[in-house]
Amino acid sequence: MKEFELENMSREMPYKMPEHFLDDLTERVVAEIGREKRRHKQRRIYLMFASAAAVAAVILLALLPFGFGGTGTGVPDYETISQCTSIDEIFQSISTDELGVYSMMSNYYGN
Amino acid sequence: MKSKGSLSVSDESIARLLCDDNHVEEAIRLIMKKYGERLYWHIRRMVVVHDDAEDALQETMINVFKYRNTYSNEFPLSSWLYKIATNEGLKLLKNRAGYNLSIDDLGDSLKNSVRAEAGPDADEILILLQEAIALLPTKQKMVFNLRYYDDKSYEEIHRIVGDSINTLKTNYHYAVQKIKKYIEEHQL
Repeated sequence: MKEFELENMSREMPYKMPEHFLDDLTERVVAEIGREKRRHKQRRIYLMFASAAAVAAVILLALLPFGFGGTGTGVPDYETISQCTSIDEIFQSISTDELGVYSMMSNYYGN
Repeated sequence: MKSKGSLSVSDESIARLLCDDNHVEEAIRLIMKKYGERLYWHIRRMVVVHDDAEDALQETMINVFKYRNTYSNEFPLSSWLYKIATNEGLKLLKNRAGYNLSIDDLGDSLKNSVRAEAGPDADEILILLQEAIALLPTKQKMVFNLRYYDDKSYEEIHRIVGDSINTLKTNYHYAVQKIKKYIEEHQL
């Protein structure tokens, strides 16, 4: 058996690398990176809009009790009504629009 | 096999371009020019088949782009690139092995691929050497390839593979013994 000397071996490989392989691969990688960058940009824009929409929704929800249907609407609450001495005083504290709504409701439910 | 495309652009300049979104493509081109061939052969020695090496190298470069912000100037750029390439090569082998086998069970399959991939005019001793390497356990194979073909120091191999220097030296020693034994047994 012949003694084998690894140190004297050629560092060559028995395979070949196809011609222009690295150039072609570089172009493919750069193109893929371009697509990746565009996807990243789109994701960022989407996230920005989503965050803005979420902030707007939170602000809207925070304002809702004061702006619509809450105590800030001018509708007399239970305490105000209970302190009124006559029904006229109650009607005086209700706006014309609200009176319209109440009248429609009473017609609908048949008083 | 040594890289033909030695490039004068420093690793520091490439790293700076890599972290700049407007110049990242330029950095990738420079990396491919400077290290592409070395990384290709590093992966090819692991996976043997060209098509697999191509997939792993492409994935390596995409990961270089994706994880460019994790690169630290404390380490050489080449070590970082080799580490990513090594991980991609291992990932590909793991996929090939499937759930039931480990990468080390792929030895025979890789050995058979060596002869299939070798050119018709390839030297028999070079084929035998690659067959012997293909049969090595993964750690020994990686250490041997990085030391023997890429002339990496144990310090650099430690940065790429992660084992202690003494373990790496032991792995290299056993790898050389096994390769010599295989070639002596199969040489005509």
